[in-house]
Amino acid sequence: MSEVISRDEVLKIVRDALSDILEIEPDTITEGQSFADDLEADSLALIELVEALEEALSDKVAGFTIEDESLEDLKTVRDAVDYVYENANEST
Amino acid sequence: MLPVAVDAMGGDAAPQPNLDGAFAAVAAGTPVVMVGPHDLTGLTSGGVTLDLIPASEVIGMKDDPAQGVRKKKDSTLVRAAEAVRDGNASAMISAGNTGATMAAALLRMGRIKGVRRPAIATPIPVPGSTPTVLLDAGANADVQSEWLVQFALMGSVYARRRFGIENPRVGLLSIGEEPGKGDALRKEAYVLLAQAPGINFIGNVEGRDVMSADIDVCVTDGFTGNVVLKTLEGSMKFLIGALLEAFGEPEYKVHADALMPALLPLYATLNPDTYGGAVLLGVDGVCIIAHGSSSATAITNGIAVARELVEHDLVGEIRDVIAAAMPTD
Repeated sequence: MSEVISRDEVLKIVRDALSDILEIEPDTITEGQSFADDLEADSLALIELVEALEEALSDKVAGFTIEDESLEDLKTVRDAVDYVYENANEST
Repeated sequence: MLPVAVDAMGGDAAPQPNLDGAFAAVAAGTPVVMVGPHDLTGLTSGGVTLDLIPASEVIGMKDDPAQGVRKKKDSTLVRAAEAVRDGNASAMISAGNTGATMAAALLRMGRIKGVRRPAIATPIPVPGSTPTVLLDAGANADVQSEWLVQFALMGSVYARRRFGIENPRVGLLSIGEEPGKGDALRKEAYVLLAQAPGINFIGNVEGRDVMSADIDVCVTDGFTGNVVLKTLEGSMKFLIGALLEAFGEPEYKVHADALMPALLPLYATLNPDTYGGAVLLGVDGVCIIAHGSSSATAITNGIAVARELVEHDLVGEIRDVIAAAMPTD
């Protein structure tokens, strides 16, 4: 499969977005962290993240969206990275 | 100035109070643009026609705030927030779903750089004095102590810009005045507030102080703030109802008539409509959150407040104050 976007790129986009939203350093964000327990991100912060990811990926993947129904499955940074990586490359 | 965007469909009795309030604001010299369905009637009155930003959907009072904003992209709230973001309006006001108004403003206008979470600031009337700014009045049920410091900074800017209080006295709402009183959050916040530059922190305050002239800004979490606000609203309503009932007795009518000239200004001071609603502080634009039961007068006053805050560059000063308080590398 030819990738439109690599997993490392996705991780960087997710980290940068979280860093902006939660006002924390991107380097302190690791894949194993839970949004709720470790990063103290509430539901509104997660919606901010979803909107930021959709915007950041709009140039690379036309029409990329994160389904609202999938949101409750995204518990950790790794979940979000995996979801975006798989769906962005499937969309093409 | 750019017009103030008014959510035509927000509020229990929409759109009439919003339209009536908008016409009164225009008559007073503030430009207004309505945000509502393309076939909205009543846009012309007395030779004045209000401009319209079309929006085909409405986020209802019972809709989930964040999901409402995500799913109803052509809603009046979302379009109003986008009008501010895109430079087509100077500010927005809605009497609709409070959570959705906050979400629309946050997701479309964005947060001011450095602001952890926006907070709702509500003026609490204080007879014979300037109001107390209560924040957070409901945006964040759970908060961190650092957020309370930012609320204090933003509330101080608001008290200065809105009520002309040069050096606002900030109190931390707790269950006792001594520094050690309160839960872990309050104790931690007390230390941070006492050390924070740019905040005139006077220590802990109690619920009875909120409507006193001893403080100008009352800082708390959104859960407690909302309980305080609703308790005060309920108490005021009860008190006024009880007074009117007592005055209604025929034998007291002559005394009631004599007291009315003194009581009416007090009623105006205590009436929430006078203050035109709450303000969402921390987003990158002026957003007024009006009460769901807002009258036309409340909407007119809310539009006037929006104009005042735009002209006084509330957002610019909050940006500067938050930037100055951020740790430097």
